[in-house]
Amino acid sequence: MSALIIDDVAVSRGAGPVIQGVSFTLEQGRVTALVGPNGAGKTSLLDGISGVAPISAGTIRLDGTPIERLSRVARAKQGIVHIEQGRAVFPSLTVRENLSLTARTPAEVDAALARFPELEKRIDAPTALLSGGEQQMVVLARAFAARPRFLLIDEMSLGLAPVVFMRLLPIVSEIAEQGVGVLLVEQFTHLALGLASEALVVASGQVSFQGPAATLREDASLLHRAYLGGAPA
Amino acid sequence: MLQGALAGLAAGGLYAVLAVCLTLMSRLVRVVNFSQAATGMFGGFVAVWLVTETGLPIWLGSVLGVLLAGVLSGVIGWIAATWLSEADTTTRSAMTVGPLLLLISLSFILFGNKPQPFASIISGPAFTLGGVVISQVTLVTVSLAIVVAVAVRILLTRTAIGTRLRALSERPTTAELLGIPSKPLSIAVWVVTGVISAIAIVVVAPTQSNDAISLAMLIVPAAAAALLGGFKRLDLAVVGGLVLGVLSGLVAQIDEVALIRNFLPFLFIVVLLLWTQRKEVWDAAR
Repeated sequence: MSALIIDDVAVSRGAGPVIQGVSFTLEQGRVTALVGPNGAGKTSLLDGISGVAPISAGTIRLDGTPIERLSRVARAKQGIVHIEQGRAVFPSLTVRENLSLTARTPAEVDAALARFPELEKRIDAPTALLSGGEQQMVVLARAFAARPRFLLIDEMSLGLAPVVFMRLLPIVSEIAEQGVGVLLVEQFTHLALGLASEALVVASGQVSFQGPAATLREDASLLHRAYLGGAPA
Repeated sequence: MLQGALAGLAAGGLYAVLAVCLTLMSRLVRVVNFSQAATGMFGGFVAVWLVTETGLPIWLGSVLGVLLAGVLSGVIGWIAATWLSEADTTTRSAMTVGPLLLLISLSFILFGNKPQPFASIISGPAFTLGGVVISQVTLVTVSLAIVVAVAVRILLTRTAIGTRLRALSERPTTAELLGIPSKPLSIAVWVVTGVISAIAIVVVAPTQSNDAISLAMLIVPAAAAALLGGFKRLDLAVVGGLVLGVLSGLVAQIDEVALIRNFLPFLFIVVLLLWTQRKEVWDAAR
Protein backbone atom coordinates (compact mmCIF):
# COMPACT_ATOMS: atom_id res chain seq x y z
CA MET A 1 0.00 0.00 0.00
CA SER A 2 1.44 3.33 -1.13
CA ALA A 3 1.53 6.28 1.26
CA LEU A 4 2.16 9.99 0.91
CA ILE A 5 3.68 11.26 4.14
CA ILE A 6 3.55 14.96 4.91
CA ASP A 7 5.94 15.70 7.78
CA ASP A 8 6.08 19.07 9.56
CA VAL A 9 5.47 20.91 6.30
CA ALA A 10 5.27 24.70 6.03
CA VAL A 11 4.38 26.72 2.94
CA SER A 12 5.38 30.37 2.75
CA ARG A 13 4.16 33.08 0.44
CA GLY A 14 5.78 36.49 0.52
CA ALA A 15 6.56 37.62 4.07
CA GLY A 16 6.09 34.41 6.04
CA PRO A 17 4.50 30.99 6.37
CA VAL A 18 0.87 30.73 5.34
CA ILE A 19 0.61 27.29 6.91
CA GLN A 20 3.09 25.40 9.05
CA GLY A 21 3.65 22.35 11.19
CA VAL A 22 1.41 20.09 9.12
CA SER A 23 1.97 16.35 9.45
CA PHE A 24 -0.29 13.60 8.20
CA THR A 25 -0.26 10.50 6.06
CA LEU A 26 -2.39 10.07 2.98
CA GLU A 27 -3.11 6.42 2.28
CA GLN A 28 -4.35 4.89 -0.93
CA GLY A 29 -8.02 4.02 -0.96
CA ARG A 30 -8.97 6.57 1.72
CA VAL A 31 -10.43 10.06 1.59
CA THR A 32 -9.00 12.69 3.91
CA ALA A 33 -10.98 15.91 4.28
CA LEU A 34 -9.04 19.13 4.73
CA VAL A 35 -11.38 21.83 6.00
CA GLY A 36 -11.10 25.18 7.67
CA PRO A 37 -12.08 28.81 7.32
CA ASN A 38 -11.10 30.95 4.32
CA GLY A 39 -7.46 32.01 4.36
CA ALA A 40 -6.41 29.17 6.67
CA GLY A 41 -3.84 27.88 4.17
CA LYS A 42 -5.63 24.87 2.68
CA THR A 43 -4.89 25.77 -0.96
CA SER A 44 -1.28 26.65 -0.08
CA LEU A 45 -0.83 23.22 1.49
CA LEU A 46 -2.15 21.51 -1.66
CA ASP A 47 0.13 23.73 -3.75
CA GLY A 48 3.08 22.67 -1.58
CA ILE A 49 2.29 18.97 -1.96
CA SER A 50 1.86 19.11 -5.74
CA GLY A 51 4.79 21.48 -6.31
CA VAL A 52 2.89 24.58 -7.45
CA ALA A 53 4.51 26.38 -4.51
CA PRO A 54 7.76 25.34 -2.81
CA ILE A 55 7.53 24.19 0.79
CA SER A 56 9.64 26.22 3.21
CA ALA A 57 10.05 23.50 5.85
CA GLY A 58 9.43 19.80 6.37
CA THR A 59 9.48 16.83 4.05
CA ILE A 60 7.08 15.09 1.69
CA ARG A 61 7.72 11.40 1.14
CA LEU A 62 6.12 9.11 -1.39
CA ASP A 63 6.71 5.48 -0.45
CA GLY A 64 9.65 6.62 1.66
CA THR A 65 11.28 8.69 -1.08
CA PRO A 66 11.53 12.47 -0.54
CA ILE A 67 9.75 14.31 -3.34
CA GLU A 68 9.68 17.88 -2.05
CA ARG A 69 12.51 18.90 -4.39
CA LEU A 70 10.92 17.35 -7.47
CA SER A 71 9.22 19.56 -10.05
CA ARG A 72 5.44 19.55 -10.30
CA VAL A 73 5.76 17.63 -13.58
CA ALA A 74 7.87 14.94 -11.90
CA ARG A 75 5.41 14.70 -9.00
CA ALA A 76 2.52 14.34 -11.44
CA LYS A 77 4.39 11.53 -13.16
CA GLN A 78 4.76 9.83 -9.76
CA GLY A 79 0.97 9.78 -9.53
CA ILE A 80 0.16 12.93 -7.56
CA VAL A 81 -2.62 14.72 -9.44
CA HIS A 82 -3.80 18.12 -8.25
CA ILE A 83 -7.22 19.46 -9.29
CA GLU A 84 -7.01 23.22 -8.83
CA GLN A 85 -9.70 25.55 -7.59
CA GLY A 86 -12.22 26.71 -10.18
CA ARG A 87 -12.74 24.86 -13.44
CA ALA A 88 -9.31 23.92 -14.64
CA VAL A 89 -10.26 22.97 -18.19
CA PHE A 90 -8.38 23.96 -21.31
CA PRO A 91 -11.13 26.03 -22.94
CA SER A 92 -10.28 25.65 -26.62
CA LEU A 93 -9.65 21.92 -26.32
CA THR A 94 -12.58 19.58 -26.88
CA VAL A 95 -13.71 17.18 -24.17
CA ARG A 96 -11.92 14.37 -26.01
CA GLU A 97 -8.71 16.39 -26.26
CA ASN A 98 -8.86 17.28 -22.55
CA LEU A 99 -9.16 13.60 -21.68
CA SER A 100 -6.48 12.54 -24.15
CA LEU A 101 -3.96 14.69 -22.27
CA THR A 102 -3.86 12.09 -19.51
CA ALA A 103 -5.38 8.96 -21.03
CA ARG A 104 -2.83 6.75 -22.68
CA THR A 105 -5.24 4.81 -24.85
CA PRO A 106 -8.71 5.37 -26.36
CA ALA A 107 -9.93 2.68 -23.95
CA GLU A 108 -8.87 4.88 -21.03
CA VAL A 109 -10.82 7.79 -22.54
CA ASP A 110 -13.86 5.50 -22.75
CA ALA A 111 -13.37 4.34 -19.16
CA ALA A 112 -13.27 7.96 -17.97
CA LEU A 113 -16.36 8.78 -20.02
CA ALA A 114 -18.21 5.80 -18.57
CA ARG A 115 -18.33 7.63 -15.23
CA PHE A 116 -19.79 10.73 -16.88
CA PRO A 117 -22.28 9.71 -19.59
CA GLU A 118 -23.34 13.38 -19.81
CA LEU A 119 -20.02 14.14 -21.49
CA GLU A 120 -20.39 11.64 -24.31
CA LYS A 121 -22.78 13.79 -26.31
CA ARG A 122 -20.43 16.78 -25.91
CA ILE A 123 -17.28 14.83 -26.65
CA ASP A 124 -16.21 16.97 -29.61
CA ALA A 125 -17.34 20.32 -28.21
CA PRO A 126 -14.78 22.85 -26.94
CA THR A 127 -14.92 22.75 -23.15
CA ALA A 128 -15.42 26.53 -23.09
CA LEU A 129 -18.97 25.88 -24.33
CA LEU A 130 -19.83 23.42 -21.54
CA SER A 131 -21.76 24.30 -18.38
CA GLY A 132 -19.89 24.71 -15.12
CA GLY A 133 -20.92 21.28 -13.93
CA GLU A 134 -19.89 19.65 -17.20
CA GLN A 135 -16.53 21.43 -17.06
CA GLN A 136 -15.93 20.10 -13.57
CA MET A 137 -16.88 16.63 -14.85
CA VAL A 138 -14.22 17.00 -17.55
CA VAL A 139 -11.67 17.92 -14.88
CA LEU A 140 -12.58 14.91 -12.75
CA ALA A 141 -12.66 12.56 -15.74
CA ARG A 142 -9.28 13.86 -16.88
CA ALA A 143 -7.82 13.32 -13.41
CA PHE A 144 -9.31 9.81 -13.30
CA ALA A 145 -7.81 9.01 -16.72
CA ALA A 146 -4.39 9.99 -15.35
CA ARG A 147 -4.59 6.91 -13.08
CA PRO A 148 -3.50 8.86 -10.01
CA ARG A 149 -2.16 7.29 -6.85
CA PHE A 150 -3.06 10.40 -4.91
CA LEU A 151 -5.63 12.98 -5.88
CA LEU A 152 -5.63 16.47 -4.37
CA ILE A 153 -8.99 18.19 -4.95
CA ASP A 154 -9.34 21.89 -4.17
CA GLU A 155 -12.86 23.31 -3.68
CA MET A 156 -14.59 21.25 -6.31
CA SER A 157 -17.93 22.86 -5.41
CA LEU A 158 -16.75 26.40 -6.13
CA GLY A 159 -19.28 28.15 -8.36
CA LEU A 160 -21.43 25.02 -8.82
CA ALA A 161 -25.08 24.59 -7.99
CA PRO A 162 -25.48 22.24 -4.98
CA VAL A 163 -27.39 19.72 -7.10
CA VAL A 164 -24.50 19.54 -9.56
CA PHE A 165 -21.97 19.19 -6.76
CA MET A 166 -24.01 16.37 -5.20
CA ARG A 167 -23.81 14.59 -8.56
CA LEU A 168 -20.01 14.81 -8.52
CA LEU A 169 -19.33 13.94 -4.90
CA PRO A 170 -20.05 10.17 -5.14
CA ILE A 171 -17.56 9.99 -8.02
CA VAL A 172 -14.84 11.04 -5.59
CA SER A 173 -15.77 8.09 -3.35
CA GLU A 174 -15.71 5.74 -6.32
CA ILE A 175 -12.28 6.98 -7.34
CA ALA A 176 -11.01 6.40 -3.79
CA GLU A 177 -12.52 2.90 -3.74
CA GLN A 178 -10.35 2.08 -6.73
CA GLY A 179 -7.26 2.59 -4.56
CA VAL A 180 -6.62 6.31 -4.94
CA GLY A 181 -5.71 8.37 -1.86
CA VAL A 182 -7.85 11.52 -1.94
CA LEU A 183 -7.15 14.77 -0.10
CA LEU A 184 -10.35 16.77 -0.38
CA VAL A 185 -10.46 20.48 0.36
CA GLU A 186 -14.08 21.56 0.53
CA GLN A 187 -16.14 24.49 1.75
CA PHE A 188 -19.18 22.25 2.35
CA THR A 189 -17.64 20.83 5.51
CA HIS A 190 -20.33 18.33 6.41
CA LEU A 191 -20.42 16.86 2.92
CA ALA A 192 -16.65 16.46 2.94
CA LEU A 193 -16.69 14.89 6.40
CA GLY A 194 -19.47 12.57 5.30
CA LEU A 195 -17.25 11.27 2.53
CA ALA A 196 -13.94 11.11 4.41
CA SER A 197 -12.50 8.64 6.83
CA GLU A 198 -9.91 11.07 8.18
CA ALA A 199 -10.11 14.82 8.70
CA LEU A 200 -7.82 17.76 9.26
CA VAL A 201 -9.04 21.15 10.31
CA VAL A 202 -6.68 24.05 9.74
CA ALA A 203 -7.17 27.49 11.19
CA SER A 204 -4.81 30.46 11.04
CA GLY A 205 -2.13 28.42 9.30
CA GLN A 206 -2.02 25.62 11.90
CA VAL A 207 -3.68 22.24 12.25
CA SER A 208 -6.33 22.58 14.96
CA PHE A 209 -7.82 19.09 14.66
CA GLN A 210 -6.59 15.83 13.22
CA GLY A 211 -8.38 12.53 13.56
CA PRO A 212 -11.31 10.45 12.38
CA ALA A 213 -13.85 12.39 10.31
CA ALA A 214 -16.64 10.67 12.26
CA THR A 215 -15.50 12.41 15.45
CA LEU A 216 -16.10 15.81 13.88
CA ARG A 217 -19.32 14.72 12.24
CA GLU A 218 -20.75 13.65 15.56
CA ASP A 219 -19.50 16.55 17.67
CA ALA A 220 -20.51 19.91 16.22
CA SER A 221 -18.99 21.85 19.11
CA LEU A 222 -15.60 20.21 18.48
CA LEU A 223 -15.85 21.23 14.82
CA HIS A 224 -16.73 24.80 15.80
CA ARG A 225 -13.81 25.00 18.21
CA ALA A 226 -11.47 23.57 15.62
CA TYR A 227 -12.60 26.19 13.09
CA LEU A 228 -11.74 28.85 15.65
CA GLY A 229 -8.36 27.24 16.23
CA GLY A 230 -9.21 26.02 19.72
CA ALA A 231 -9.46 22.23 19.51
CA PRO A 232 -6.42 20.09 20.30
CA ALA A 233 -4.58 18.81 17.23
CA MET B 1 2.40 48.10 -61.86
CA LEU B 2 1.70 44.36 -61.75
CA GLN B 3 5.42 43.68 -62.02
CA GLY B 4 6.00 45.88 -58.96
CA ALA B 5 3.24 44.21 -56.98
CA LEU B 6 4.51 40.73 -57.77
CA ALA B 7 8.08 41.83 -57.05
CA GLY B 8 6.90 42.68 -53.56
CA LEU B 9 5.67 39.13 -53.10
CA ALA B 10 9.18 37.85 -52.29
CA ALA B 11 9.41 40.26 -49.36
CA GLY B 12 5.76 39.51 -48.59
CA GLY B 13 6.56 35.81 -48.36
CA LEU B 14 9.36 36.59 -45.92
CA TYR B 15 7.04 38.80 -43.84
CA ALA B 16 4.47 36.00 -43.90
CA VAL B 17 6.92 33.35 -42.70
CA LEU B 18 8.09 35.58 -39.86
CA ALA B 19 4.47 36.52 -39.05
CA VAL B 20 3.54 32.84 -38.82
CA CYS B 21 6.47 32.28 -36.47
CA LEU B 22 5.45 35.29 -34.35
CA THR B 23 1.86 34.05 -34.20
CA LEU B 24 3.03 30.60 -33.22
CA MET B 25 5.22 32.02 -30.47
CA SER B 26 2.44 34.24 -29.20
CA ARG B 27 -0.09 31.41 -29.11
CA LEU B 28 2.10 28.67 -27.74
CA VAL B 29 4.71 30.26 -25.51
CA ARG B 30 3.00 33.58 -24.68
CA VAL B 31 5.65 35.87 -26.11
CA VAL B 32 5.95 38.45 -28.89
CA ASN B 33 9.49 37.59 -29.89
CA PHE B 34 11.21 40.81 -30.94
CA SER B 35 14.40 38.83 -31.62
CA GLN B 36 12.64 36.54 -34.12
CA ALA B 37 14.36 38.07 -37.18
CA ALA B 38 17.60 38.95 -35.34
CA THR B 39 18.45 35.31 -34.63
CA GLY B 40 17.91 34.53 -38.32
CA MET B 41 20.02 37.54 -39.28
CA PHE B 42 22.88 36.40 -37.04
CA GLY B 43 22.68 32.84 -38.33
CA GLY B 44 22.74 34.20 -41.88
CA PHE B 45 25.79 36.36 -41.18
CA VAL B 46 27.62 33.39 -39.71
CA ALA B 47 26.68 31.42 -42.82
CA VAL B 48 28.19 34.16 -45.02
CA TRP B 49 31.35 34.17 -42.91
CA LEU B 50 31.64 30.38 -43.11
CA VAL B 51 31.31 30.47 -46.90
CA THR B 52 33.59 33.43 -47.57
CA GLU B 53 36.25 32.88 -44.90
CA THR B 54 36.47 29.12 -44.51
CA GLY B 55 35.48 28.09 -48.02
CA LEU B 56 32.55 25.91 -47.01
CA PRO B 57 30.03 25.18 -49.75
CA ILE B 58 27.06 27.56 -49.72
CA TRP B 59 24.61 24.86 -48.78
CA LEU B 60 26.69 23.64 -45.85
CA GLY B 61 27.39 27.15 -44.57
CA SER B 62 23.68 27.96 -44.83
CA VAL B 63 22.68 24.80 -42.97
CA LEU B 64 25.13 25.59 -40.17
CA GLY B 65 23.93 29.21 -40.00
CA VAL B 66 20.30 28.10 -39.81
CA LEU B 67 21.13 25.57 -37.08
CA LEU B 68 22.99 28.28 -35.13
CA ALA B 69 19.90 30.51 -35.37
CA GLY B 70 17.83 27.64 -33.97
CA VAL B 71 20.28 27.19 -31.09
CA LEU B 72 20.28 30.94 -30.34
CA SER B 73 16.51 30.99 -30.35
CA GLY B 74 16.51 27.92 -28.10
CA VAL B 75 18.83 29.64 -25.63
CA ILE B 76 16.48 32.64 -25.45
CA GLY B 77 13.60 30.21 -25.00
CA TRP B 78 15.50 28.44 -22.21
CA ILE B 79 15.92 31.79 -20.43
CA ALA B 80 12.20 32.51 -20.78
CA ALA B 81 11.21 28.99 -19.65
CA THR B 82 13.63 28.96 -16.72
CA TRP B 83 13.30 32.42 -15.21
CA LEU B 84 10.11 33.82 -16.70
CA SER B 85 7.86 30.77 -16.81
CA GLU B 86 5.25 32.39 -14.57
CA ALA B 87 5.70 35.93 -15.98
CA ASP B 88 3.03 37.63 -18.06
CA THR B 89 3.24 38.06 -21.82
CA THR B 90 4.40 41.69 -21.58
CA THR B 91 7.37 40.81 -19.38
CA ARG B 92 8.36 37.82 -21.47
CA SER B 93 8.09 39.89 -24.66
CA ALA B 94 10.12 42.76 -23.18
CA MET B 95 12.88 40.27 -22.35
CA THR B 96 13.33 39.49 -26.06
CA VAL B 97 14.37 43.09 -26.77
CA GLY B 98 17.63 42.25 -24.93
CA PRO B 99 18.71 39.50 -27.36
CA LEU B 100 17.59 41.70 -30.29
CA LEU B 101 19.96 44.49 -29.27
CA LEU B 102 22.69 42.02 -28.26
CA LEU B 103 22.63 40.24 -31.62
CA ILE B 104 22.68 43.52 -33.58
CA SER B 105 25.63 44.78 -31.50
CA LEU B 106 27.45 41.47 -31.78
CA SER B 107 27.01 41.41 -35.53
CA PHE B 108 28.43 44.96 -35.75
CA ILE B 109 31.46 43.85 -33.71
CA LEU B 110 32.04 40.59 -35.57
CA PHE B 111 30.97 41.42 -39.13
CA GLY B 112 30.88 45.23 -39.34
CA ASN B 113 27.89 47.40 -40.14
CA LYS B 114 27.94 46.97 -43.90
CA PRO B 115 25.63 44.72 -45.92
CA GLN B 116 26.91 41.16 -46.14
CA PRO B 117 27.84 39.44 -49.42
CA PHE B 118 25.09 36.81 -49.27
CA ALA B 119 25.38 34.29 -52.09
CA SER B 120 22.10 33.24 -53.62
CA ILE B 121 20.97 29.75 -52.71
CA ILE B 122 18.05 30.11 -55.06
CA SER B 123 18.01 32.42 -58.07
CA GLY B 124 16.48 32.90 -61.47
CA PRO B 125 12.91 32.95 -62.76
CA ALA B 126 10.44 30.26 -61.79
CA PHE B 127 7.67 30.99 -64.32
CA THR B 128 5.91 33.82 -66.12
CA LEU B 129 2.43 34.99 -65.13
CA GLY B 130 0.59 37.39 -67.45
CA GLY B 131 3.88 38.53 -68.88
CA VAL B 132 5.36 39.07 -65.42
CA VAL B 133 8.29 36.98 -64.28
CA ILE B 134 7.91 35.25 -60.93
CA SER B 135 11.27 34.52 -59.35
CA GLN B 136 12.20 31.28 -57.63
CA VAL B 137 12.80 33.24 -54.41
CA THR B 138 9.21 34.53 -54.52
CA LEU B 139 7.89 31.06 -55.16
CA VAL B 140 9.93 29.52 -52.34
CA THR B 141 9.11 32.15 -49.70
CA VAL B 142 5.38 32.26 -50.45
CA SER B 143 5.25 28.45 -50.54
CA LEU B 144 7.23 28.25 -47.30
CA ALA B 145 4.78 30.61 -45.57
CA ILE B 146 1.76 28.60 -46.70
CA VAL B 147 3.35 25.22 -45.99
CA VAL B 148 4.46 26.28 -42.51
CA ALA B 149 1.02 27.70 -41.67
CA VAL B 150 -0.78 24.57 -42.90
CA ALA B 151 1.73 22.21 -41.24
CA VAL B 152 1.46 24.05 -37.93
CA ARG B 153 -2.33 23.94 -38.08
CA ILE B 154 -2.27 20.19 -38.73
CA LEU B 155 0.26 19.70 -35.94
CA LEU B 156 -1.82 21.66 -33.44
CA THR B 157 -5.19 20.12 -34.26
CA ARG B 158 -4.39 16.56 -35.30
CA THR B 159 -1.49 15.40 -33.14
CA ALA B 160 -1.01 14.57 -29.47
CA ILE B 161 1.93 16.93 -29.19
CA GLY B 162 -0.18 19.72 -30.70
CA THR B 163 -2.90 19.13 -28.10
CA ARG B 164 -0.26 19.30 -25.37
CA LEU B 165 1.16 22.53 -26.79
CA ARG B 166 -2.33 24.11 -26.88
CA ALA B 167 -2.97 22.99 -23.32
CA LEU B 168 0.33 24.49 -22.21
CA SER B 169 -0.46 27.78 -23.91
CA GLU B 170 -3.84 28.05 -22.18
CA ARG B 171 -3.08 26.94 -18.63
CA PRO B 172 0.64 26.23 -18.17
CA THR B 173 0.39 25.38 -14.46
CA THR B 174 -2.57 23.05 -14.95
CA ALA B 175 -0.76 21.35 -17.83
CA GLU B 176 2.31 20.80 -15.68
CA LEU B 177 0.12 19.37 -12.90
CA LEU B 178 -1.00 16.76 -15.44
CA GLY B 179 2.63 15.85 -16.12
CA ILE B 180 3.06 17.76 -19.38
CA PRO B 181 6.68 18.97 -19.48
CA SER B 182 6.41 22.66 -20.31
CA LYS B 183 10.09 23.53 -20.50
CA PRO B 184 11.28 21.14 -23.24
CA LEU B 185 8.12 21.73 -25.27
CA SER B 186 8.48 25.51 -25.01
CA ILE B 187 12.16 25.40 -25.95
CA ALA B 188 11.31 23.18 -28.92
CA VAL B 189 8.86 25.83 -30.16
CA TRP B 190 11.58 28.47 -29.87
CA VAL B 191 14.09 26.30 -31.74
CA VAL B 192 11.69 25.39 -34.55
CA THR B 193 10.53 28.98 -35.12
CA GLY B 194 14.16 30.14 -34.99
CA VAL B 195 15.11 27.62 -37.69
CA ILE B 196 12.12 28.50 -39.91
CA SER B 197 12.81 32.24 -39.62
CA ALA B 198 16.47 31.72 -40.44
CA ILE B 199 15.68 29.63 -43.53
CA ALA B 200 13.43 32.39 -44.89
CA ILE B 201 15.99 35.10 -44.14
CA VAL B 202 18.90 33.18 -45.70
CA VAL B 203 16.83 32.60 -48.85
CA VAL B 204 15.67 36.22 -49.24
CA ALA B 205 18.70 38.12 -47.88
CA PRO B 206 20.62 38.17 -51.22
CA THR B 207 17.71 39.99 -52.89
CA GLN B 208 17.20 42.83 -50.42
CA SER B 209 18.93 45.19 -47.96
CA ASN B 210 20.91 42.82 -45.83
CA ASP B 211 22.75 44.84 -43.22
CA ALA B 212 22.17 43.85 -39.60
CA ILE B 213 19.61 46.55 -38.83
CA SER B 214 17.55 45.96 -41.99
CA LEU B 215 17.33 42.23 -41.38
CA ALA B 216 16.72 42.42 -37.61
CA MET B 217 14.04 45.06 -38.15
CA LEU B 218 12.09 42.74 -40.43
CA ILE B 219 10.32 42.10 -37.14
CA VAL B 220 8.32 45.33 -37.73
CA PRO B 221 6.51 44.33 -40.95
CA ALA B 222 6.25 40.77 -39.63
CA ALA B 223 4.55 42.02 -36.46
CA ALA B 224 2.23 44.18 -38.58
CA ALA B 225 1.29 41.09 -40.60
CA ALA B 226 0.77 39.00 -37.46
CA LEU B 227 -1.44 41.76 -36.09
CA LEU B 228 -3.91 41.16 -38.92
CA GLY B 229 -4.56 37.76 -37.36
CA GLY B 230 -4.46 39.19 -33.85
CA PHE B 231 -1.33 37.07 -33.18
CA LYS B 232 -3.75 34.12 -33.12
CA ARG B 233 -4.72 33.22 -36.68
CA LEU B 234 -2.05 31.72 -38.88
CA ASP B 235 -4.01 32.13 -42.12
CA LEU B 236 -4.47 35.86 -41.59
CA ALA B 237 -0.81 36.20 -40.65
CA VAL B 238 0.10 34.77 -44.06
CA VAL B 239 -2.40 37.05 -45.80
CA GLY B 240 -1.10 40.04 -43.84
CA GLY B 241 2.49 39.34 -44.86
CA LEU B 242 1.64 38.90 -48.53
CA VAL B 243 -0.60 41.99 -48.62
CA LEU B 244 2.10 44.07 -46.98
CA GLY B 245 4.68 42.81 -49.44
CA VAL B 246 2.45 43.52 -52.45
CA LEU B 247 1.59 46.98 -51.12
CA SER B 248 5.29 47.74 -50.63
CA GLY B 249 5.96 46.66 -54.22
CA LEU B 250 3.10 48.79 -55.53
CA VAL B 251 4.06 51.88 -53.57
CA ALA B 252 7.66 51.60 -54.77
CA GLN B 253 6.36 51.85 -58.36
CA ILE B 254 4.60 55.17 -57.80
CA ASP B 255 7.05 58.05 -57.48
CA GLU B 256 4.60 60.35 -55.68
CA VAL B 257 4.10 57.93 -52.79
CA ALA B 258 7.32 55.93 -52.94
CA LEU B 259 8.51 57.77 -49.84
CA ILE B 260 5.91 56.10 -47.62
CA ARG B 261 7.22 52.64 -48.45
CA ASN B 262 9.35 52.56 -45.31
CA PHE B 263 6.41 53.69 -43.19
CA LEU B 264 3.98 51.19 -44.65
CA PRO B 265 4.17 48.66 -41.78
CA PHE B 266 3.59 51.49 -39.32
CA LEU B 267 0.55 52.73 -41.27
CA PHE B 268 -0.67 49.13 -41.54
CA ILE B 269 -0.42 48.74 -37.74
CA VAL B 270 -2.16 52.06 -37.04
CA VAL B 271 -5.03 51.32 -39.43
CA LEU B 272 -5.47 47.80 -38.00
CA LEU B 273 -5.45 49.06 -34.43
CA LEU B 274 -7.95 51.80 -35.23
CA TRP B 275 -10.19 49.29 -36.98
CA THR B 276 -10.02 46.58 -34.31
CA GLN B 277 -10.49 49.09 -31.49
CA ARG B 278 -13.27 51.05 -33.23
CA LYS B 279 -15.99 49.82 -30.88
CA GLU B 280 -14.01 50.19 -27.68
CA VAL B 281 -15.05 52.75 -25.12
CA TRP B 282 -12.02 54.63 -23.84
CA ASP B 283 -12.44 53.76 -20.15
CA ALA B 284 -13.42 50.15 -20.78
CA ALA B 285 -10.51 49.52 -23.14
CA ARG B 286 -7.99 51.00 -20.72
